[in-house]
Amino acid sequence: MMKRITYLLLLLALPLISLANSETDALFAKANNQYSKAKYKDAVQTYQSILSNGYQSAAVYFNLGNAYYKLGDIPSALLYYEKAHKLNPGDDDINFNIQLTTLKTTDKIDAAPDLFLTKWWQAFVLCCSVTTLGWLSVLFFIAGFGVLIVYLFAATVSLKRGTFYTSMALLFLGLLSILMAANQVHYFTSHQQAIVFSNSVTVKSEPEKAAKTLFVIHEGTKVDVLENTNGWLRVKLLNGNDGWILPADVKEI
Amino acid sequence: MNIKKYIFILLLCCTGSVWGQSFTASVSKSQVATGEVFEVQFTLNASGGSYTQPSFGGLQVVGGPNESTSMESVNGSMSQSVSIGYDLVASKEGTYTIGSATVVSNGKTLSTRPITVKVIKGSPQQQQQQGGQGQQAGPDNSIGAAASGDMAKNVFIRAVVDKKNVYLGEQITVTYRLYTRVGLVGNSFDKAPDLNGFWSQDIKAAQQNTPWKTEMYQGQRYNAADIKQTILFPQRDGNLIIDPLTMSFVARKAMPARDIMEQMFGGRYEDVKVKASSPPVTIHVKPLPEAGKPAGFTGAVGVFKVAASVDKKELKANEALNYQLKITGSGNIKLLKDANINPPADFEKYDPKITDTITETERGVSGSRLLTYLLIPRHQGNYTIEPVPFSYFNPATGRYVSLATPAFAIKVNKGVDAGGNVTSLSPADQRDIKMLSKDIRYIKTSGPDVYKNGEMFFGSAGYYLLLLLGPLAFAGAFAYRRYNEQQNSDVVKVKNRRAAKLAAKHMANAQHELQAGNTKAFYEAVSRGLYGYLSDKLNIPAADLNQENIAAELKNRSVDDALIQKLLNTLNLCEMARFAPVSGVSQQDVFNGAKSTINDIETHV
Repeated sequence: MMKRITYLLLLLALPLISLANSETDALFAKANNQYSKAKYKDAVQTYQSILSNGYQSAAVYFNLGNAYYKLGDIPSALLYYEKAHKLNPGDDDINFNIQLTTLKTTDKIDAAPDLFLTKWWQAFVLCCSVTTLGWLSVLFFIAGFGVLIVYLFAATVSLKRGTFYTSMALLFLGLLSILMAANQVHYFTSHQQAIVFSNSVTVKSEPEKAAKTLFVIHEGTKVDVLENTNGWLRVKLLNGNDGWILPADVKEI
Repeated sequence: MNIKKYIFILLLCCTGSVWGQSFTASVSKSQVATGEVFEVQFTLNASGGSYTQPSFGGLQVVGGPNESTSMESVNGSMSQSVSIGYDLVASKEGTYTIGSATVVSNGKTLSTRPITVKVIKGSPQQQQQQGGQGQQAGPDNSIGAAASGDMAKNVFIRAVVDKKNVYLGEQITVTYRLYTRVGLVGNSFDKAPDLNGFWSQDIKAAQQNTPWKTEMYQGQRYNAADIKQTILFPQRDGNLIIDPLTMSFVARKAMPARDIMEQMFGGRYEDVKVKASSPPVTIHVKPLPEAGKPAGFTGAVGVFKVAASVDKKELKANEALNYQLKITGSGNIKLLKDANINPPADFEKYDPKITDTITETERGVSGSRLLTYLLIPRHQGNYTIEPVPFSYFNPATGRYVSLATPAFAIKVNKGVDAGGNVTSLSPADQRDIKMLSKDIRYIKTSGPDVYKNGEMFFGSAGYYLLLLLGPLAFAGAFAYRRYNEQQNSDVVKVKNRRAAKLAAKHMANAQHELQAGNTKAFYEAVSRGLYGYLSDKLNIPAADLNQENIAAELKNRSVDDALIQKLLNTLNLCEMARFAPVSGVSQQDVFNGAKSTINDIETHV
C-alpha cells in the first residue's frame, strides 16, 4: 500500500517539476552567456523571448532586471526585480538588488512606519515562494498523517503518545504553511503595484486633467495601485500620499 | 462767561482729582472765526483705556489727536492726567457742537459733555510780520486786492479732482490749487492731507517753482498755482473724503499811503498771516461689478496690454530659462500682484524680478511692469508653459477684459547629472557614498524555475490531490483498524478462521515427522492436528473433546455420515498407532486421508 502511495505521489508531482523543457533551459543558458559577455541588449532580448513563450520564472525576471540595470534602464530593471520578488519574495539577491536600484531613482520616499508586528508577519509570510510553501504543506500533511497512522497501530503507550504529539505538530506546520501561502497570494493580489515609467508625472487630486497638481513623481518610483476609474489610476506612494495619474505613465508589476 | 467756565472746569478737575476720576472737555475758544484754528482738549485725571473719539459736527480736524500725560505727586499721593487734543477749523460760520468723547477708567465709562462752538465770519488775526520763508515766482501784480478786509476770499486753496464718480481702483487726479489776489511773501505747509482710503502717488513737478497763471474763478481774476498734484487710487468703495490741505501764508496787504513819499515808493504794505485750507471733496467710489468678473481677476483697473516671452525653447535639464511677462498700460500698475504663471510642476520657479518703468503725469499713472521669472527644469521631457491669464477692468467702458499670453512649448534635453539627482538627494545624504562601492548582485545561473503563466503549483488540482493524500491514507488506515478490531472481537469466529491454519501447521509438522521416519511422532502430530482443528472449528472446549461430541457437532452442521465416519476412523487409527504398530495402512495414506478430511470439513462447514 505505501508503495502505491509513493508511486501516486510521484505521478502527480512529476509533471509539475519537469515543466521546464529543454528549449527554455537552452535559452536561459544562452542569455546568461550573453550577459556574462556584457552583451546586455542581446541578453534582454533572449530573456524576453523566454517570457514571451508564456513562461514566468523568478530567475528569468531577476536576470532580466540585472540586464536592464546594466543598460541604465532603471524603471525596467525595477519592474522585473519586483516581478521576481513577487514570485520569490524570500530571495535575498532579489531584495538586495531592489534596494540598491531604488537608490538610483529620483524620488526619495520614506515608507510610512508600520507596526512591528505587521512587519514581522509580512516578513514571515514572504519568507519563501508560494510554490515552496505549497510543497512544504503537502510534505507536512503526508508526514503528519503518516505518523498518525503509526499512532493508530502503536502497541505501547509511550509510542502512542510520542506519535500523537509529533503528528499534531506536523499537521500544525502543514496548516501554517497553507495559511502563509494563501496569505502571500492574497498579499500580492490585493497589493497591485506599479513602476512609474515617465520622466515626470504630475499626480492630480481628481481623475481629471484640470484638477490640482498634488505632487510630482519621477521614473522608477514604485506606487500602489488602489483603483482604476475612467481611464485614471488612483495610486498611493509608500509614504502614504495618494492621487490620480494616467495609466500610460506606469507599468503594473 | 469764559472765565467762569474755565474756573468751573478747573474746579471740576480739582474735585475730580480729589474725589475720583473725571473726564472733561474744553475748547481754547468758544467763539472763533472761519478758517481760524482752535483747540479742543479732553482730559482724564486718571489712567484709562478704550477712548472713543467724539463727532466734530462738521468741524475739520487739522491737527491731532495730540496726547499728553502728566504726573504729579502732592504730599505723597500720586495723581496723573491724560489729555487728548485736536486742532479744529471751521470752514463756514454757524454754531457747531462737538459731541461727547467716552473713555473707560477703572471699569467705569466716562463721557464728556458736548461743547458748543460759535463760528463767526472770518476776521483773520493780523500780524505785523515782514518777510517769509519762500518767494513765489512772479505773480501777476495787476491782480490787486479789491477788498482788503476779506482775506479768505483773496487767498484760498481748492482741491480740483478730474472726476468724482469712480470705480474702485480707478485713478483720480487731484490738484490742490492756490488762488490769490494779494501778494504772498511766505508760505508753509501746515498739514498735508491724510488721504485715508486711497493709495496715492504724488506727481513730481516738472519745475522747481510752480508757475503762476491767471484764472477766472467765480467771476474774479486770480493768480493761480498748482501746489500739489496727486494721483489717487480708491482702495475701498463708498464715499471717500479727500482731506483738506492746510497752508499758512504771509500776505502783503496794501495800505493807504500815509504821505506822498510813501505813495511815490509804491505805497505802504502790511504783512498779514493767513491760514487757508481746501474744502473737503467727497469721491463716490463704486464697487467693481460682479457680473462678468473673470476667475483670475486680481484687481487691475485701467487699460493694459500683456506680452510674454521666453529666452530659449530648447535647453538641457538643470539649465535656467527666463520667462518674461510684460504688462503695459495705464492704471494701478504698481498695485498689481504677481501674475499667476504656472510652469510645469517639475520646473523650479523663483520669485520674479520686477522692473517698473512707470511715469506719473496729470493724465495718470502709466508705464510698464516687467516680471522676469527664472525657471529651472529638472528633468528631460517636452513641457508646455501654459498661457498666463491676465484680466483687468476698464472703467471707461465699465467692462472686464481678459487677455492671455501665448503658450510656449519647451523641450528639455537630458542634462548633465551633477552627482546624482539635484532635487531629491541632498549632498549630505549618506546613501550616495554607499552607492559608489556597491553593485547589484550577479544573475542567477542555476536553471530557471519556469512555469507557464497561470500554472502555479499552489492552488492547482494536483496540489489539492497531494494535500488530500495524507487524510485519505489516514482514513484508510483507520477503516482498516476498525475492520480488524471487529474481526478479532468474536473469539469463536477467530478460532474458526484460525482452525485451518493451525491444522495446516500440524500437518506440516506431521509431514516433517513422516519424512524423518518417526512413526510415533507422526501419528501424534496428525492426531493433534485433527483434534486441534476440530476443537477450534466446532468450538468444543478441550475438556469435552471426544469422538461422540465431535460426531454430534458435525451432524448438527449437516456433514454427511460417510465423511464423519472417515474422520472417526482416521482419529481411531491415529490413537491406536500411538500405542501399537498398525499394519495395512501406510503412513502416507493416513496423512493424505487426514488432509483430505480437513479439506472436506472446511468446504462443508
